[in-house]
Amino acid sequence: MTLKNQMDPINTAVIVKLEPDFSEGNVSYNPDGTLNRAETKNILGPHSAIAVSAAFYAKVKYGAKIAIGTMGPPMAESILQQAQLMSNADELYLYSDRIFAGADTLATAEVLKAGIQKMQKKIDIVFSGHRASDGETGQTGPQTAWKLGMTFLGHVIDYEINLESRTVRAKRLVRIQGVYDVVEEVESPLPVFIAIDPSYKPKFNTVSQRLDYEKYQKEAVKRAQDFKQYLKVFNAAQIEADPKFIGISGSPTIVYKVERIPKGKATRQAKVIDGSNKEQIREVVTRLLQALSTMAIK
Amino acid sequence: MEKYDVAIIGGGSAGLAALKQLSRLGKQAILFESGNKIGAKNISGGILYSKKPKKGKTYNVEDIYENFLQDAPFERKITKYILHATAKDKVFSIDLTAAHKYEANFGCSVLMNKLNQWFAQQAEEAAQKYGGGIVTGVHVRAIRWEDGHTIIQTDELEEVEVKAIIAADGVNSEIAYMTGARQKFSPSEIYQGVKVIVKLPDEIINQRFSIGPDEGSAHLFAGDVTLNHIGGGFLYTNRDTLSLGAVYHLDSLLETPNEPYELVNTLLKNPMISELVKDEVPVRCEIDRDAPKEEQMRIRFAVTKMIKTWAELRDSYYSKKEKERLVKEGKYGSPEEIGAQLSSLRDQMSTKYGIKFETDYVEVEYSAKTIPDGKRCRMEKPYFKNILFVGDAAGRGIFVGPRIEGINVGIDDAVRAANAVARALDKDNFTEKYLGEYYSRLIEDSPYTHDLKVIDKDYLEIFLGAVKEVPKEIISSKYGLVIKMMSSGTLRSFAVGVANILGYENLLPIIETVDTYVKIPTELAERLGKRMYASYAPTIPSIAQRIAKLKFNDDNISHIKVLTPTSEFMKKMITLCPTRCYFMEKEGVIIQHEGCIECGTCSEETDWKHPRGEKGINYQYG
Repeated sequence: MTLKNQMDPINTAVIVKLEPDFSEGNVSYNPDGTLNRAETKNILGPHSAIAVSAAFYAKVKYGAKIAIGTMGPPMAESILQQAQLMSNADELYLYSDRIFAGADTLATAEVLKAGIQKMQKKIDIVFSGHRASDGETGQTGPQTAWKLGMTFLGHVIDYEINLESRTVRAKRLVRIQGVYDVVEEVESPLPVFIAIDPSYKPKFNTVSQRLDYEKYQKEAVKRAQDFKQYLKVFNAAQIEADPKFIGISGSPTIVYKVERIPKGKATRQAKVIDGSNKEQIREVVTRLLQALSTMAIK
Repeated sequence: MEKYDVAIIGGGSAGLAALKQLSRLGKQAILFESGNKIGAKNISGGILYSKKPKKGKTYNVEDIYENFLQDAPFERKITKYILHATAKDKVFSIDLTAAHKYEANFGCSVLMNKLNQWFAQQAEEAAQKYGGGIVTGVHVRAIRWEDGHTIIQTDELEEVEVKAIIAADGVNSEIAYMTGARQKFSPSEIYQGVKVIVKLPDEIINQRFSIGPDEGSAHLFAGDVTLNHIGGGFLYTNRDTLSLGAVYHLDSLLETPNEPYELVNTLLKNPMISELVKDEVPVRCEIDRDAPKEEQMRIRFAVTKMIKTWAELRDSYYSKKEKERLVKEGKYGSPEEIGAQLSSLRDQMSTKYGIKFETDYVEVEYSAKTIPDGKRCRMEKPYFKNILFVGDAAGRGIFVGPRIEGINVGIDDAVRAANAVARALDKDNFTEKYLGEYYSRLIEDSPYTHDLKVIDKDYLEIFLGAVKEVPKEIISSKYGLVIKMMSSGTLRSFAVGVANILGYENLLPIIETVDTYVKIPTELAERLGKRMYASYAPTIPSIAQRIAKLKFNDDNISHIKVLTPTSEFMKKMITLCPTRCYFMEKEGVIIQHEGCIECGTCSEETDWKHPRGEKGINYQYG
């Protein structure tokens, strides 16, 4: 019916990360203020989820295949399941090995590179999140792209694929901090590595896309129920990762110490007025009026 | 531009039946629904019938969904059907079960939200095989015809081209207004229905209404509870809720406006109904305000959680299925254990947190809808170019005495429309002559259309049989003669014959009067009724509390525009809008659309559209 069924399918890969759930009610802290890892639920990182939704867009619009990969402990398979539920992914990869422990961003990128190269199909587009909500470095994506030798497009807020010329046209949100935002439009031949911007939202605006969306969503529920059928677990040897570049020995950086940022002293003083009687309400109104009178704009 | 064979506009029970039927016939169809999910905008009284007329054939729900009786989440099969005449605390009841069973395979109570989602599941699965399906959150804005192409514009998606359209967008059909296929219904042609869903555990319903676990009962109310309006009240038993509502002729409401929720409240205050809806309700005790803030907070959360746990456990305890599930899953050893846990929880609630248990009723959803009176307003020509109108959109609701049907009529229409469209697809001919006129003929053949035109003397006989106990002298001389005539076999045939020659149109002013709906029932109840007592006075929520319980996805733009702010009609809307969206400012009436539940009561003198996709009311029960 459309072009997407006639051309070679686009193969995409998404690299995702297991992160603590920082949402209210799920996160637990130790008495010293550090994160209580054991008590806090692990989820698919919010930025990873956006990257997954970007790949799902390619599936709905261009009939792309999706492979999802993550490096992590065995329990990280649960986030691959979550990601499959979101995107009806075709393949799931978990790179898990004790040797990987203590990896910094560069050593992680090495594993992901080796993993992506080991995937069944030649990958046309790799998606990654903008950054992780625990590490906050934003380096793993670009480093993986560099290792793969792929064109890197960061801060992507929208993209279209030309199936005939096999190119990607992407919109990038370029923030010049404190000055202005610009949207840059770039075109690149495949393969490309796309780090998706947090403000990305897939838009499905034709009937066929909406029908496919529904169809894939339904299929995803079924697939995710027995996701193990789609899952491959690889250790370091199986992905032929160079031991020199992985784990703690392949990490040029190490987190030496984490310190709390000291709290600034509050200058405002709060007073509780519970509004239980007229007097109290009158006081609230008077105070609001006072506050307004000191403002420049009335 | 994308192309599809058929577009169905509106995902109610009629639209979904059209989708299912087209898929059965191997045709490609897409369905647009403006709600964020199927069922979000659907409201019914609601009883869904399956009929077996003496003449002709209706397409019933179980014909379209073969597994309906086994799998569908309908509520209860109605086995008792009773009309209650009321006068203050006196009630006189007439058993109309025979009338309810007349020409029916079954009639079951339904909640549209749940049921339509099930219909959608079945229909979508079938539609996907032919490249079709359901698209939700999409509001059709316009349809245009360009050199023989039919193009649909929506607020959300790119345009699509289709060969034929089935308009199933309900009583306030925008498709009908925008194409001019019909005028908006006038107040004399529609009823306004307002309904509340009352929560009541499964087995308590069985006991209270003396019905078996899978049986249901339906109750109609006439007399003084109508506050002198033409129409009446209804109460249907669902699985673990009750549907209680009032349906009144809009003309009658316009004459002497009453707030719609007052009409429901009047029903609730009737001692018989109060007793039917009553339940045990936990009441929180005041938290000590002098206690530390954290302590107050802790208690508040603990109490909320406890009430929730108790209510959930209680629902399970009074449901046979749930009890069996809990025992089977090993959570409890036996049903008695659940009972013991429930009472210990109850004790804890009162001893630990001072929670009191009072008799009251629990309301969970307030809703409203306008209902077309098919006798008066069914479309004579239910098509326009290559658009076919079905169900409420075509004004086809049945109101004949106590017989009120809509969902099954819509499903029957939809199947006929789907058949007509399939035939047109086969011949690639979508002219009014080949498609529209053929559909019109199919609709004319429908037993439902027959019922909308002609009085059925057998039905009348059953009805008269039910009221034969009523002393004739109660009914004023005018009606006494009619009843006498109707009670005699030979005279009845003659009278019905004459009546049918005159037609419904000419008879309605005589039949549908304050006398028949209010005066006679009131007199009946006063003279013959049994005195009822209520053991409590229900705490009825205010309209603001009712609106606060509803789920909305607010749109910043109003979907309704007032055209003549100073008209008498609009001034009456201040009273008649079920959610009080209208109020007077200086000289004119203005709208605050945020609480609008899209019933269409005000549509006659407003620019009335459905909200954009996903916006507006999102019913949970329906």
